[in-house]
Amino acid sequence: MKWNCLMLAGATVAAVLLAGCGRQPESSSGGGSSEGKRIYNIGFSQCNLGEPWRVQMNADIKAAAEKHKDRIRVFYKDAQNRTEVQQNQVREFIQQGVDLIIISPKESVPLTKPVAEAMAKGIPVIVLDRALAGDDYTMFIGGDNREIGRQAGYHMVKILGGKGNVVELKGLMTSQPAIDRHEGFMEGIKGSNIKIIFSADCKWLEPDAQREMKSALSRFPDIDAVYAHNDPSAHGAYLAAQQEGKGREKTIKFIGIDGLPTEGVKYVREGILDATFVYPTCGAEAIEYALKILDGEEVPKQVILPTRVITKETLEREGS
Amino acid sequence: MSEPGVRPSRFSGARALALAGEFRGVLALAAVFLLGVLFTPRNLATGQSIFLTWQTQSDILFEYSEYGLLACGMTLVILTGGIDLSVGSVLGFAATLFAVLLIGYGWSAPAALAIVAITGLAAGLVNGVLIARFRIQPFVATLAMMVAARGGAKLLSGGIKVQPGAQEWYALQGPPPDVFRWMTSPLGWLGLQPATLLFLLSIAVMLVVVRYTAYGRRLYAVGGSEEAARLSGIRVGAVKIAAYSLCALFAAIAGAVNACRIQIGDPEAGATYELDAIAAVVIGGTSLSGGQGGMFLTLIGTLIIAYINKILSINNVPEAYRLLAKGLIIVAAVLIQRRKQ
Repeated sequence: MKWNCLMLAGATVAAVLLAGCGRQPESSSGGGSSEGKRIYNIGFSQCNLGEPWRVQMNADIKAAAEKHKDRIRVFYKDAQNRTEVQQNQVREFIQQGVDLIIISPKESVPLTKPVAEAMAKGIPVIVLDRALAGDDYTMFIGGDNREIGRQAGYHMVKILGGKGNVVELKGLMTSQPAIDRHEGFMEGIKGSNIKIIFSADCKWLEPDAQREMKSALSRFPDIDAVYAHNDPSAHGAYLAAQQEGKGREKTIKFIGIDGLPTEGVKYVREGILDATFVYPTCGAEAIEYALKILDGEEVPKQVILPTRVITKETLEREGS
Repeated sequence: MSEPGVRPSRFSGARALALAGEFRGVLALAAVFLLGVLFTPRNLATGQSIFLTWQTQSDILFEYSEYGLLACGMTLVILTGGIDLSVGSVLGFAATLFAVLLIGYGWSAPAALAIVAITGLAAGLVNGVLIARFRIQPFVATLAMMVAARGGAKLLSGGIKVQPGAQEWYALQGPPPDVFRWMTSPLGWLGLQPATLLFLLSIAVMLVVVRYTAYGRRLYAVGGSEEAARLSGIRVGAVKIAAYSLCALFAAIAGAVNACRIQIGDPEAGATYELDAIAAVVIGGTSLSGGQGGMFLTLIGTLIIAYINKILSINNVPEAYRLLAKGLIIVAAVLIQRRKQ
């Protein structure tokens, strides 16, 4: 009984606090307008902050928003990888009356309707990374995984001189990015004498990639390169070769994707990876286009950001 | 084995049952091993079997050492009739803490390991107290810890993976700490990594504890019938608290091993590992209802899973078939164990 009362009291306090948080944007927007110049409120719903790439996306948005803090204020929500939570978050933003919504959706179809509701209320929506079904949103900004795979393929052909044995450590093959990174790569190496001698579904996970690479190493005496669908997998493959104790980590070339400052770029700098390909987070661009939309400018319906390769040479050129 | 009771009342009877179970367990493991011998790719240069090499065999032990450590602790909890869903998250928290102490604050490996172990024990203590004193069901109490420990891990690392140079304030900006390399490199003439040795040693120590000490007998008594154990003067609460504390301690050690293995303190590490740990215990033949089973069976169970995974991996079986085959082989392994019961 005592516990029940305590829990009820706790829940009440939590509810009051939450309600307080919910009201914040409205009151602050009121404060902004009284100064004559209106500060716009932007709601950003991130599908999952468990992945470093998405943490980076938030950091990029934060950094870009900081530069324009006299004009915009961003409210961040994390949907914890749950579609229904993200649906609610979009509706919460509508209720709060934000001026613009940025969303990086977990699933295309289930989020199409909430986003359409926001659009119907006159709130523009910028969709990042994963497109929605239909076209009831203001604009989409994303990368092109197939193109990234293709570039990785071209790079592989270049560094191996057109022939060699490659191990492919794939991302989760039921997810579109992994499929695109695989198919793009196959297009990139087409016509060369590069053979995929071993490939496995590592589900984007470093421990899995490490185990699969061990198996590949025990089977094949000559492996020339590893193509991993993300940088942690490439890193795991490197460690597997190192643990084998035959020094093969020095002869095998490792290529990854994503190019985060704390992962891929760091590994390239340390000589672990030969190259990584940047998968843009779209964070900075989202804020840039949000300002344009709020100023009433025309924006394209779709913006595909290019990838760039990061190697020791490009890092030296940038002087970082 | 025609005893009608679920729980054999005499110790000699229990020993006989346990021995029979262990024999069937070894049989199941042998069957899986045979699969490995039959379906092995061959070295392209020498034509040698890849499965039957010391390298592959030691890799199997090494790659599943974290699962083994988790299963070791999980066995204690399951013997009391409980369950611990928090081991994967505690592993993730410990991996992150270990890396933060080593890389962020530049601590020495033994000091970091000591703190990680104490933190693990503390997490287990909380589980145990919630279950034994506050009467929260093990499933619920450890589910809460599973969620909370994952949150703690993310808080601790700031949501990123902890590795040298990831943050400016980290003490280590250059190469990873030496213990990472040490833990995953073969040691001396044995050719086994310290990670593997930790796993085998933990199982060995706990095997002795479970089989030959008063505490071990109390574990079985509590799992067999809590009421009977209480009436015979056993402090049931204390037995349970100790089991959950040890379980989380092993999870914390597994966390340190995990950080060394991927050279990163990953706050997401260990997600869903609790299922593999429970599977290893159950495939070994320890009963989920408590009071039956043992540590040797868990070793067998862990090895069965490890061998299945390795065989599928070196044969490069596509993921869809891998999952199907894994399901089938697990059922087959359990059936081999049960047939003569």
